[in-house]
Amino acid sequence: MVMKQIALYGKGGIGKSTTSANLSAALSLQGLDILQIGCDPKRDSTRMLMHGNFIPTVMDLVRERGDATVSLSEMVYSGFNGIRCVEAGGPEPGVGCAGRGIIATFQLLEKFGALTGDVIVYDVLGDVVCGGFAMPMREGYAQEIYLVTSGELMSLYAANNICKAIQRLSSRVKSKCRLAGVICNAKNQPREEELVAEFARRVNSALVQFIPRDRVVQVAELNRKTVIEFDPGSAQAEHYRVLARRVMENTRFTIPTPLEIDDLEALAVEFM
Amino acid sequence: MTLKPSQSNSCRYGGCTLTGALSVTTHVRDAVTVVHGPAGCTHHNFSLFHATSLDNDAPVIPNLVSTGLSETDIIFGGEPALDRTLDSVLPSNPGVIFVLSTCVVDTIGDDIAMVCGKERGVLVVPVPTAGFIGGTFEDGVNKALIALAGMAEGSRGTNARSAGNQNPGNHPVSANIIGEKNLEYELVENYTEVNRLLSAIGCPVNCRFVHDLTSARIATLGDAQVNILRDPALVPVGEYLKKRFKTPYIRSFPIGLGSPVFLETVAEVCGAESRDAVARELALQVETLGTFADLRGSTISFAPALVDPKAVSAAKQLARALDMPVRKNGLAVPLPTTPPVGIAGVRRLLHRWRRAIHA
Repeated sequence: MVMKQIALYGKGGIGKSTTSANLSAALSLQGLDILQIGCDPKRDSTRMLMHGNFIPTVMDLVRERGDATVSLSEMVYSGFNGIRCVEAGGPEPGVGCAGRGIIATFQLLEKFGALTGDVIVYDVLGDVVCGGFAMPMREGYAQEIYLVTSGELMSLYAANNICKAIQRLSSRVKSKCRLAGVICNAKNQPREEELVAEFARRVNSALVQFIPRDRVVQVAELNRKTVIEFDPGSAQAEHYRVLARRVMENTRFTIPTPLEIDDLEALAVEFM
Repeated sequence: MTLKPSQSNSCRYGGCTLTGALSVTTHVRDAVTVVHGPAGCTHHNFSLFHATSLDNDAPVIPNLVSTGLSETDIIFGGEPALDRTLDSVLPSNPGVIFVLSTCVVDTIGDDIAMVCGKERGVLVVPVPTAGFIGGTFEDGVNKALIALAGMAEGSRGTNARSAGNQNPGNHPVSANIIGEKNLEYELVENYTEVNRLLSAIGCPVNCRFVHDLTSARIATLGDAQVNILRDPALVPVGEYLKKRFKTPYIRSFPIGLGSPVFLETVAEVCGAESRDAVARELALQVETLGTFADLRGSTISFAPALVDPKAVSAAKQLARALDMPVRKNGLAVPLPTTPPVGIAGVRRLLHRWRRAIHA
């Protein structure tokens, strides 16, 4: 099969890493070879796949040793069900340039030929604050972008901003980057699914999966596991498996039409 | 954001802020200048200064050290690299260390003042010189001069403070030369001309701020009665020094036939006598123009070039003085990129015109 590269973007704290890790776990159990790359200096994207361990980041290795002596085996760690895990890492909060760190990580992974497998899942930090964090959307990397959002206005606002970045990048000649859909990681607000579905429709996309809020997610994390591994029989695990199937079957990749802020607010008011 | 247009009428529009500041700091001969950025920013300037000094027959190896930032430093922050570099230059026992920033370190927000503030037993002076913020070459010059003026902490400045604009007690007077263009081809000639004029009114040069001096010399900055700016782009520096030392300033070196007015103005500011000097200067101008009598009546035009508007008006003044009509179809004569300074500058320019006319 052709390698699939997907990226999850969304507001900070919305559950991108939880969703990514569970998605990777579910895809892996379909028998697929998965590489998950955490693109956030917080470096906690792959933690649940690594049973609670923070793996050394690519940037840590480069900082300590220089990129000449770093090898592929030191950057890639095998997690749950053989999922290959990489954390880009980055500077301490408040210094340096995290965006450049993402660019450097990608160049290094490329140099080592690490970007292989059936599916690569890029888990990217909250907002596309600079060019570096748009790197996973660029030519040769993720072609399918999923927005993770709840029904909260600020979360939709961030998702809408990411639509702007996708729209801008997709207008470039060679760009194959497209919006693949919206994942609702719910806060259990009333009419939340309807709201997020309508938001997705208005930005020229679709709601791919509604994931309700469930305590099992926290319990699994306290046990340092994904829900897929910790409680495969739970309803929540089934939501992630459905998401995984839909991601693999998805053929609707669009150029998004971001909303004006007034329209976005009016939309939120409509579903209050 | 700052979108700052150049405010001067000099022709140094644009250019690199870092290079401007380096043209100042490298002339403090006992100083080390640390350029905080990738090695190329230092290499490029080192080559430029070395080549220029060779051109001006005064070869000097500029004392530059780069923090040599790599991609890793940019990602994780460049402050440790600056800290290490500052420590590494200490054994050479510099009189002062200047730290100049580059575009990339100000983009990632390195706290340079904090690193410079660490006690090292030597004065470390930061000069923010990232050019992308909107600065030009001359902003770099001004920033460096103002930063260096901050070193004149112990300056007595007694004459300037007690006497103000006057010198009734007949104290010896002196002048500072502010902001010589250390990279310009006629640097020596222009200084010699201004020094000659100042000597003629009994006002010798106190400090060439900054040209070929040691850091200790900067302490005398407040001792002069007047500051002579190289050109009006340096007015911010003139204003700063006026506020700091109460020293009045003259906006520019004398341009074209402007020396008599220059002499009168400087003499008035520092309470000196100028009548005889002015008379002698006027006579010298007449005599000099007389030696170019062969040019009289020639119809000329100015070769189109990127020149300072002040150079054009100085050239027009000379053409009038020699009854040379300026017409579109006239013989093209060269214009200097910067205005001719004093009668010596006029003489050099007229020699070039003569070559063009009699070619």
